[in-house]
Amino acid sequence: MFQDDELVNEFVVESAAHLAEVEGQLLAIEAAGENCDPELVNTVFRAVHSVKGAAGFLSLTVINSLSHSLENVLNLIRNRELVPNSHIVNALLRAADQLFSLVNNVETSNEVDVSHLVAELEAIASGQEDVTQIVSDHHENFEAIQEQISSAIGDQSFGDMAAYSPAGVEQLLDDQSSSDSESPINSSVFEAPTIDPIAPVIQPTPSVKRDAKKEQNPMDKSKVKSNSDGSVSKPKPADSIVRVNVAILDRLMNLAGELVLSRNQLISAVSQGLKEGFEAIAARVDQVTSELQETIMQTRMQPIGSVFGRFPRVVRDLSAKLGKECSLEIEGDEVEVDKTIVEAMGDPLTHLVRNSVDHGIETPDRRRAAGKVETGTVRLRAFHQAGKVCIRIEDDGAGMDPVKLKTKAIEKGIISVEQAALMTENEAYRLIFAPGFSTAAQVTDVSGRGVGMDVVKTNIEQLGGTVDIESEVGKGSAVHITLPLTLAIVPSMIIGCAGERYAVPQANIVELVRVPEGEMQQRIGVVQGAEVLRLRGALLPLVRLDRTLKLRAANSKDRPSSANILVLETGQIRYGLLVDSLFDNEEIVVKPLGKHVRDLGYLAGATILGDGYVALILDVMGIAMQCNLRSIEAQSNKAEEVIEHGDEVHRLLLFTNHESELFAVPMAMVARIERVSSSDLSVVGSQNLLIYRGQSLPILRLEQNISARAPDEEQEKVFVVVFRVQDREIGLVAPALRDIRDIQMKIDAKTLREPGVLGTTVVDNTTTRILDPLELVRIKYSEWFEEEFTVSGDVADGPTTVLLAEDSDFFRNHVTRTLENEGFKVIGAVDGRDAWDHLQVVFDEIDVIITDIEMPRMNGLEFARAVRSTPNFSNLPIIALTSLAGDQDRQRGAEVGIDDYQIKMDPARLVDSVRKFASSTH
Amino acid sequence: MAQYSTFYCGDSLFGLDIGYVQEINRTSGLTGVPLAANCVRGVMNLRGEVVTMLDLRTLLGLPSDPNSAAKRNLILKCDGDIFGVCVDGVADILTIESDSITAPPSNLSINESKLIKGVYQSDTVLIMLIDPREILNASLASIRTAA
Repeated sequence: MFQDDELVNEFVVESAAHLAEVEGQLLAIEAAGENCDPELVNTVFRAVHSVKGAAGFLSLTVINSLSHSLENVLNLIRNRELVPNSHIVNALLRAADQLFSLVNNVETSNEVDVSHLVAELEAIASGQEDVTQIVSDHHENFEAIQEQISSAIGDQSFGDMAAYSPAGVEQLLDDQSSSDSESPINSSVFEAPTIDPIAPVIQPTPSVKRDAKKEQNPMDKSKVKSNSDGSVSKPKPADSIVRVNVAILDRLMNLAGELVLSRNQLISAVSQGLKEGFEAIAARVDQVTSELQETIMQTRMQPIGSVFGRFPRVVRDLSAKLGKECSLEIEGDEVEVDKTIVEAMGDPLTHLVRNSVDHGIETPDRRRAAGKVETGTVRLRAFHQAGKVCIRIEDDGAGMDPVKLKTKAIEKGIISVEQAALMTENEAYRLIFAPGFSTAAQVTDVSGRGVGMDVVKTNIEQLGGTVDIESEVGKGSAVHITLPLTLAIVPSMIIGCAGERYAVPQANIVELVRVPEGEMQQRIGVVQGAEVLRLRGALLPLVRLDRTLKLRAANSKDRPSSANILVLETGQIRYGLLVDSLFDNEEIVVKPLGKHVRDLGYLAGATILGDGYVALILDVMGIAMQCNLRSIEAQSNKAEEVIEHGDEVHRLLLFTNHESELFAVPMAMVARIERVSSSDLSVVGSQNLLIYRGQSLPILRLEQNISARAPDEEQEKVFVVVFRVQDREIGLVAPALRDIRDIQMKIDAKTLREPGVLGTTVVDNTTTRILDPLELVRIKYSEWFEEEFTVSGDVADGPTTVLLAEDSDFFRNHVTRTLENEGFKVIGAVDGRDAWDHLQVVFDEIDVIITDIEMPRMNGLEFARAVRSTPNFSNLPIIALTSLAGDQDRQRGAEVGIDDYQIKMDPARLVDSVRKFASSTH
Repeated sequence: MAQYSTFYCGDSLFGLDIGYVQEINRTSGLTGVPLAANCVRGVMNLRGEVVTMLDLRTLLGLPSDPNSAAKRNLILKCDGDIFGVCVDGVADILTIESDSITAPPSNLSINESKLIKGVYQSDTVLIMLIDPREILNASLASIRTAA
């Protein structure tokens, strides 16, 4: 009956919000009486006023007139022309209640008679307290009859015709006829608006209250009866009703009929014991039910235009307020989306449109200056794309400046300077979605309503949608929203584990990884007790579904030997979920779970699969919580941190011994590489020797010193990598050289650690063992080191003490071990600051400082500068450790007083250097 | 006077007010729910609704019997909640006068005494009458303790 249902719905929601507070406020006014706060009255006034304004606009005459009267009284109170007493407030409250009920039943509101309330309020406004008294008394007597019965007619019900004020009748008729003339809508409802009001009114008596309620409006008995019955006895919240196109309903009826027919066929086929013909019936049932489901889904679909409808007004008002000129273009009103989504998109879209007008579109002056037309344009477009609904909000305004965004984000502490430097423009635009970010220089009352873009993003993501932004300085910005068509159907992956099937929403699945049996050991590792998956060089926390849900005994044998891993992402958490098997992708219908299993945490609901069995839907976040994944993630982060601090570039020589095993040695330690004939290698006693330039060079073979496989067959020519250790040379047989490369090492110092092997790193997706030649030599030729040890032990006043500042646990341990083997005492510090603190306490013990350059909190250069500028320490020798010593570094180091540079991977030289400086201080 | 649907659970005969019984069907396709309380046998598809199935044996504190296939499900509707109870077999529907119901014997176990609100005995049978609301309460309570 209304031309613009969306506007009316919005009016209902908005007015209900306005009126919700009124009751409490009126009560507060009553309590304060004479001293009531004018601001409070003002608040109520404004609320009623907004309702009145909108009602007038929508031709809701009854709501309009009632709120008008209410407003009059409030105005008097506001101007202190009327002191609120309980009678007045009673009347106000009743009127407000009635207003609320009218608003909630807006479609029938024009047929409800409120003249008694209007009269009562007018009487109060005109100062006729007596009348008020009488009228209110009547009301108190007939509370059960409620406000629907006009007090005037209520009087009539006692048969007291004389008491019925003729003015009242006139008023009543006036109201009715005026509403008639003003609103063409009403004329269709009121078939006989001039009907004698008195005739039917006599029937109701207080003893038949139920009837009285129904007979509330004498003007149109038959029509109003049913309407008001609905509106009075069971007020329905506006949002629980879906309006369905009659055509769709007819279709549903037809399909239901078809289904009944098919059922009858099926039953008769079964009862006759037919063996054949079931296929045809099954096909028919299949077709009918599919269509039925589709059609029922259609009833939930609503045009997105119902949300768009409010924006012309929003843009108009807002641009007027901001002194901008702005037009709104809307496309794709008719695009249909699930009702829930339509409703939930109202706020985010309003925010985005307001943003476009407020922050995007420039003032006319500026636009003119920029050579643009003065009127800015905001375009709102909805369209279907790839089974989803896209909404774009574009403006031809100023656009966003990525540099400014970054600066702001840095100021607000959202990102660090380093992060900002690495950010692409698109990433910079996305900063506006970060919590606590607002692009306006000042928070205006327009956009800064406590709803940030982060809330917009969260809202959209809760609906299973995504949001992205593009922008160009001077040209404008565009926000792109993608939404699923419906929430009830979720595209999911069906997986199997321990004989049960589960559904995992596609939205959470990043990728699927299959690890064959042979690679399990290599790909799945353990970091501090938690399993991790190596995925393209990164570590991903791994969750085993069977363990997390205790699906089978720990020692169960029916576990598959290869692994299927779903890489899942939710919010900030990303992890791998190890399951037994992967089945199909299916569009599943989400069903709620019963009380007993609803709160299990890891479940998002259930669904019914094609074969009729129930499959549980896994909650990706819930599973992460279930196994404390935050802490797992933190752990693996920690592990990565440890590694990352040592994550410096080292030049490595890569070679294989057996062709399946890759090894690396730091180039810094390699003296040279020789290519020799295998025949020149000979075994003398327990030693391998190479006869080489007339001398014999001791040779190490990996397979004899560490657990490495021997080469399959001896080649004619082999490489020998020569190291210098303690002024002697030793060669390592490297059957096949692969490469010499600068590699950012992430060293895993735990797995595969053994004497002679520093740890492992991943090179080209292959686990590579990094060798420690010094240690290899020490194993084989320990006697080489004994004499050295005695030398440093000779130092008169105790062992030389070294303060070692190194943030990487791996290198700190490695250097400490090396130095301690040489008889030095080592005090370790985790960074420059820590070393500085140590130095204050034990400075008289320290003979030499060794420091890394890149460290958190206080780096090596800062530390060295601090040491040099303190008189007590200024003479301490400082050796800096780097991964690759370049001349630039040396120069910077020399400027702050670093005495020597040593390469981390070359402990022998470091030891020499320490010894040199130690002897100079002693 | 009320009608009771009676059924077997183990060797004992139990009765439920028929007003609570929405339907009785055969066990088909139960999906286990990991980490759920012991009394939850799983969930099943009841014409498009996912219904939770409870194990009456566990709730009564009876030993679980691997041989009992629990062939029938009683689907109960109680205060707006729909849930199912797996039983070993269904017997008659009896009309029982309320004054022929006696208080349960005092030597019942704690679990039993919570669920059983009375006992009806005729010449031939002894039927323990169960209050479905108590099934719901007891099962939900066991979930809370499990959590």
